[in-house]
Amino acid sequence: MAERLVNRIKEKRGELGLTQAELAERVGVTRKTVNTVENGVFVPSTLLALKLAEALSVQVEELFRIEH
Amino acid sequence: MARLSDTEAAEKLSRGRARMLPVMAILLITQQGAYFSQSQAERLVDHVRIGAWFVLSAVLLLALANGGAWIYPKRVRDLANDESTRAHRDKALKLGFINAMVTCLFLYLVSMVSRVEAREAIHVITTVGLASALLSFGIMERQALKDG
Repeated sequence: MAERLVNRIKEKRGELGLTQAELAERVGVTRKTVNTVENGVFVPSTLLALKLAEALSVQVEELFRIEH
Repeated sequence: MARLSDTEAAEKLSRGRARMLPVMAILLITQQGAYFSQSQAERLVDHVRIGAWFVLSAVLLLALANGGAWIYPKRVRDLANDESTRAHRDKALKLGFINAMVTCLFLYLVSMVSRVEAREAIHVITTVGLASALLSFGIMERQALKDG
């Protein structure tokens, strides 16, 4: 069965009151990349996943999980 | 006018590029229509036309390979060529390569029954490979840029 990476970026971003553009600025990528990761279109590298978690002040495991 | 931050400039660059590259792909394809529909006489105008096609193809290949937008500062280009952009570019180049190879095989078959000039074959292979990669990259970028 196909595995899928799901994330809670939108939820965590909302809790901090950040827009996609603001999160992108913090992480050092474009809003487009944040948008594609958030929507599950693009699977981020480990480096980007860790940067996103750091920017949202959560552990990476809280932000991403594998859905079977 | 307020100066754009690097992130805003990169966003603007990404949007412009996503709009421009598919248009350039269509222009490249249109040029082929003109090339094959006109006489291949060795006139000065034919050399200029072929030269223009060569320059456009080389510039588009370079823009696709490294992101283009050379007038922007390096930090803005690096930001605009971030992880998702590089992934889109890799996918587009892969598709372009496969399409170019399929076109080569097709032209090989055609050459068995009909004479195919080297220059014509090069035109077709380059155009198919490059245009499909540019269109694919543009479509992926435009989808990614949609508000989520």
